Amino acid sequence: MSATPAVLRFGAGHSVRRIEDPALVQGRGCFTDDFTLPGQTYLAFVRSDRAHARIKGIDASGALAMPGVLRVFTGAELVAAGVKPIALAVPFERPGGGFSAPPKRALAHEVVRYVGETVAAVVAQTRDTAAAAAAAVTVDYDDLPAVASALSAVQPGAPTVWPDAPDNIACESRHGDVAATQAAFAGAAHRVSLDLVNQRLAPSSLEPRSVLAYMEGDKLTLRMSSQMPTGVRTALADTLPGRNADNTRVLVGDVGGGFGMKTGAYPEDVVLGWAALQLQRPVKWQASRLEDFVAAVHGRDQVSHAELALDAQGRTLALRVRTLANIGGCPSGSSIVIPLLVGPWVSTSIYHIPTIDLHISAVLTNNAPTGAYRGAGRPEAIYIIERLMDAAAREMGIDGAELRRRNMLRPEQMPYTTPMAQVYDSGAFEKIMDQALALADWNGFAARREASQRAGKLRGRGIATFLEWTGGGALEEKVSVAVTADGFIELTSATLAMGQGIATSYVQLAHDVFGVPLDRIRVLLGDTDRANGFGSAGSRSLFTGGAAVRVASQRTLEEGKQLAAQALEAPAADIEYRAGRFEVAGTDLGIGLFELAGRQSGARLVVSADSKAGAPSWPNGCHIAEVEIDPATGDVQVVAYSSVNDIGSIVSPVIVRGQVEGGAVQGIGQALCEKVSYDPDSAQLLSASYMDYAMPRVDGFTAFKTEFDQSVPCLTNGLGAKGVGELGTIGATPAVVNAVVDALAATGLGRRAEQVQMPLTSEVVWRALQGDLPAPLGIR
Amino acid sequence: MPTTISFNLNGSSVSVQAEPNTLLVDLLREQLRHTGTHVGCDTAQCGACTVLLDGQAVKSCSLLAVQAQGRSVATVEGLARSEGTLHPVQEAFIACHGLQCGFCTPGMMMSAAALLAENPRPSEEQIVQALEGNLCRCTGYVNIVAAVKQASTLMARSAP
Repeated sequence: MSATPAVLRFGAGHSVRRIEDPALVQGRGCFTDDFTLPGQTYLAFVRSDRAHARIKGIDASGALAMPGVLRVFTGAELVAAGVKPIALAVPFERPGGGFSAPPKRALAHEVVRYVGETVAAVVAQTRDTAAAAAAAVTVDYDDLPAVASALSAVQPGAPTVWPDAPDNIACESRHGDVAATQAAFAGAAHRVSLDLVNQRLAPSSLEPRSVLAYMEGDKLTLRMSSQMPTGVRTALADTLPGRNADNTRVLVGDVGGGFGMKTGAYPEDVVLGWAALQLQRPVKWQASRLEDFVAAVHGRDQVSHAELALDAQGRTLALRVRTLANIGGCPSGSSIVIPLLVGPWVSTSIYHIPTIDLHISAVLTNNAPTGAYRGAGRPEAIYIIERLMDAAAREMGIDGAELRRRNMLRPEQMPYTTPMAQVYDSGAFEKIMDQALALADWNGFAARREASQRAGKLRGRGIATFLEWTGGGALEEKVSVAVTADGFIELTSATLAMGQGIATSYVQLAHDVFGVPLDRIRVLLGDTDRANGFGSAGSRSLFTGGAAVRVASQRTLEEGKQLAAQALEAPAADIEYRAGRFEVAGTDLGIGLFELAGRQSGARLVVSADSKAGAPSWPNGCHIAEVEIDPATGDVQVVAYSSVNDIGSIVSPVIVRGQVEGGAVQGIGQALCEKVSYDPDSAQLLSASYMDYAMPRVDGFTAFKTEFDQSVPCLTNGLGAKGVGELGTIGATPAVVNAVVDALAATGLGRRAEQVQMPLTSEVVWRALQGDLPAPLGIR
Repeated sequence: MPTTISFNLNGSSVSVQAEPNTLLVDLLREQLRHTGTHVGCDTAQCGACTVLLDGQAVKSCSLLAVQAQGRSVATVEGLARSEGTLHPVQEAFIACHGLQCGFCTPGMMMSAAALLAENPRPSEEQIVQALEGNLCRCTGYVNIVAAVKQASTLMARSAP
């Protein structure tokens, strides 16, 4: 065997230039709003400006009288026409039995339940006319009292969002063993508890949602920005009369960021589909940023009372958490499953915590629905345990890293079954932490704190050791490989590109098998007529879809060997493949891969293969942040950030680093600045633009030290890869908050510093320094 | 009442009819089909629509199309010097993984190009200042700042 051919330097494990980039840097991206069709019309929504109100009447006459206005749709009309609400299947019930929440309608009918809910839709010949006509639709409302938060919604006598849930609880989950947890707490040497707010966030992909709906003959087609085209197609088929999977198609081009916000079907998508069917013309809707702030899903929004019991040596005995999850006014399935199930799956993280008692209520409020946002449930759960670990360490007077070490699962405990019946296949958590401690110079902190002090700053150090569940609950992927006579290998998948460079990683994996130049390999994504599946979410695409790319590519070569044997009149066992060519061993007889494809019917060699990961992957890491606080202003700067990450085997080193660091900045955004705010009385949205919602900007830019340990491959999928998309976001928030609390505690506040709540804005931190700390939440 | 607007777009003269209330970004995207310039917000905060007006980085969502009359507008489509030869800023964004989803990237690169035209060897602080009006949700800015530094080096190397 000769040395590795030079061409394979571009395969898995090597950094290559992303195939996505040349078009994107030249302004040749294919985002939804970049498409225009002949005869295209424009749709604008009339949205509720009330948090909770009864719709008495809608007068569209003024709008319809405007030149260029084609149609106005209302909720009543859609109900009469048989347009159904978007279904949600929820495996949880209310305390008295049954699940109860308002229907998720395309357009509100009779009652509006949050500011921004779609009430009517106007279609016109131009964008400006549609917007002007939408403003001319008058809606007559009877205001109803509103609830602006989960905490206020569960108070006795709170206004009711939905009559069938008079206590505003749509459903609940209870995990673990109540009595055993009680006993563990009773016998514990140490008990710590914290009230924690995991504030509501706006995912804020830079490209807002957008849809272009049109007819291709009888086929309703939606070109849109989505992470889950098959799910949208299913929702359209379920809600729109006469539609099914065969006469409905969803196309996705470039997606300008997803972060969970573009998963599942929105009411707006159904309206666009309905409008195109009614008008039989292309209809486009491009959300404004305001529309995405009011009506795209928000993430997080959980308040918790969390308690940890430990023995005298600092070994954890039990975890008890009571959580209220604000699911908003018209929840989707993910509004509920994320807090009630996905978060709990990682609640004990990388620690051996024998007993748990988790009680989570999904609370209806007059807020926008919550849903997936990068991490989805796991950042909340990891934030709880990592804050508790620091609180326990402070209580016991031992180093936070040392307390974690005493509780970490060891490699010899793998596979490990958690109290949530989840099975970790692999993990060397202590080894990861030790590398991170060295990278961050953990033991040299005292000198750095002194140096900061001399410069008039307060320095703090925070650590988070953690893991995450990945896969989105969908472990199967199918990939088709087509070798064409004109010299290309096409990979078709139902996973989606949205900035994570999945096409590049797929090309690298196929290149490893085929040995042809990268530019001979193409990736086709985002067309439900070609491929269907779960889509891209939950850090799943590479370890499910990438594994399928490898399997399908290998099968293609096996098939090719059979065909080459026939073409070359030689036994298949004698056929060897190398870099685009089949050869009869020991001879100069051979045939090129593409030439062989040209001899097949349709001039293509097509092989599809399914691949199923055996289990979710469990990426993990240790993130360590250091902050400096200006005591005069309370301003917090992240001055050092070191992380060591175990994401198993790596296909694209540059891409995964970008995922971890970019994700970490989103996590830092939650820790320090981002917050969706509703007025506590009116439930009006107060943070509806980038002037009110503080996004991380370049000035907070952090110098990262980011390393990967590839020595612990995932054992349950063919690539050995673990998910990576959400890791940075999950680790950064607790690492940074722990660092700020550390700095505050050292000023004499001690454990009182733990009362601060995110986001740790300069006001929050300055107040804490004056001894002004938030009161307990009073969660029952 | 539509009015005629004549200006130089990426080195070529254009003359188009537009309403007086048409925004420059809409003229570029809708009428002239230069869709590389993006709209990411409605309050002039995100910078995805950044173009160069007589060499200055401006947010094209905050200018009326008529304000381009007689002036020179450069968009991301005109950044590459010719087919097959990318601008150093484009090269550097690719090389440094300065983009992920690519939606903010055109505006980010135009801000960077304006900075480097005026200040070929900017400090990190000056880079951060020049990009303060551009939001990116994917990269955490780390690789964007690195890309602007690398573009500066590339331009110095290729300078006559």
